[in-house]
Amino acid sequence: MNAAAKVSPGGTAASLEGIVCAPGGKPVLDVDALHIAQGERIALVGPNGAGKSTLLRLLSGFARAERGVATVLGRRLPLAGRELRALRGEIGQVLQGLHLVQRLSVLDNVLIGALGRLSGWRTWARWHRVADIAEAEAALRAVGLLARADHRVDRLSGGERQKVAVARMLMQRPRLILADEPTAALDPRAAAEVCALLAEAARGATLVTVVHNPSLLPLLAGRVIGFRQGRIAFDLPVTQVDDQRLLGLYRTDEGSLVDQFLTEPPVRPRIHFPDYQ
Amino acid sequence: MAWSGALAVLGGGRYAGRLGFLGLMLAYAALVALALATLAADNGLSLGRNPLANLAKTFGEFAHPSFLDVWFGDPQLEYRSDDGTLLRVEDRRVVEADFLRQLAGATWTTFMIGTLGSLLGAVLALPFGVLTARNLGAPRWLGLPAKGLLDASRAIHTLVFGLVLVGIVGLGPTAGILAIAFHSMGTYGKLYAEAIESLDMSAVEAVRAVGAGPAQVFFNGVWPSVLPQFVSNHLYVWEFNIRDSTVLGLIGAGGLGLLITEATALFQWGRLATVLLVVVALVSLFDAASRRIRKALL
Repeated sequence: MNAAAKVSPGGTAASLEGIVCAPGGKPVLDVDALHIAQGERIALVGPNGAGKSTLLRLLSGFARAERGVATVLGRRLPLAGRELRALRGEIGQVLQGLHLVQRLSVLDNVLIGALGRLSGWRTWARWHRVADIAEAEAALRAVGLLARADHRVDRLSGGERQKVAVARMLMQRPRLILADEPTAALDPRAAAEVCALLAEAARGATLVTVVHNPSLLPLLAGRVIGFRQGRIAFDLPVTQVDDQRLLGLYRTDEGSLVDQFLTEPPVRPRIHFPDYQ
Repeated sequence: MAWSGALAVLGGGRYAGRLGFLGLMLAYAALVALALATLAADNGLSLGRNPLANLAKTFGEFAHPSFLDVWFGDPQLEYRSDDGTLLRVEDRRVVEADFLRQLAGATWTTFMIGTLGSLLGAVLALPFGVLTARNLGAPRWLGLPAKGLLDASRAIHTLVFGLVLVGIVGLGPTAGILAIAFHSMGTYGKLYAEAIESLDMSAVEAVRAVGAGPAQVFFNGVWPSVLPQFVSNHLYVWEFNIRDSTVLGLIGAGGLGLLITEATALFQWGRLATVLLVVVALVSLFDAASRRIRKALL
């Protein structure tokens, strides 16, 4: 059975039909149909510029589709103002790079996750309620950073920062989690830790992750969607995705030296050196 | 002919890119020449009848600042009329000690005007700086008038604001405080906007991504990041304003400027020297202090 057709009792987390995103005239995302069921774990794979990040930005309301119908968590896009903020409050995002407020403490950064459901001037002064602080501390304990709650974020290592981002997302209590290369620029150990935390945090929610490292796929996803030049190249359960298929996404038809690197296995390009004997 | 030849050489080939810079330099030289020629035609470049003698006289009096008289002054300076009758006897030491007390009060007034005016300007500029910063996405119909207002307040000199305000609120420190505030508001707003524009927007977007409202985004994502820069800017402009407020006495706002007016009107260069020493000391001290604080902040 095609994984895309599976419908879980939780209903639909997101569905796209006939979506075309073309900022600046050039289509970067062109999806006929994509349905994501509530509670699913999906990995998006594919080369840079294939439309993965655009898809995530579309789902979180940061990008607009020129054509098509997109529905996320029961809301029809595009949204604006209060409605958009309500949707974003339900979508937890972990992004690559430095998406924390550098000069705030770890705890304050985690508490930012609650801003979607809190209002009033107290949140302006970052004067949070005891219950919220306790929840933030619990989230930090879950990622193993409670001891550094009072440190400033710009004093942390890359792996620790990404864990703070996961804790902030936990604080948000999201129904849908979008993670865009959450392990970029992390060493293998930190990458595995962050992925495990992310998978743990996504319990009961829907998780959509952009990943490049194939070894992390089973940790994060039950279903893998391959993108190539803005289109869905394959949509398969993770058990049916092998390295050959993944590398095929990155290969061009030119047969260049780079393409030879992407042949599998073993990765050994045929390079002919001149014979000096 | 030689010039046009040189221009033709510079204009051709790989020097083509330099021509723009050369043209700018020539235009600048022409502007300076025009200014000098205009002044020379009106005899505006004259240095007076005997500049060297005047320089020596003024310098001599400057070299003897009045505060020295507190210790070295004549305790029984006699003023006599032309025929030799004694008019009155003055103790220079007492007179100058009185002046120093007056000077201390005036210094405090000047410092006060600069400080309060600066604070008022910094607070007034905040909303305009936020509206002007292009990356925060404030609506254009609010951003453009805000920018116009900041430009206008920067263009109008503190003294001009002061003259107008003296007519409105009367003589005294209030006019000075408001004049400083209205002029430095423009500088503050521009510096605020630049600090906000150099912000790491990914963090701001992350705060937006949790569904936070505009005010929440500002106070949680923008404010903590720009606060050190704002404080640094504040100290910097504050220092300018302390210096600016020393001349506000000229228009009746009180403080050191009043003493400067009196001293120049009576040709008391020794007293002027004393006042100017205080001005230099005040500004230098403030500069040293603010530099330390700014270093600790960033």
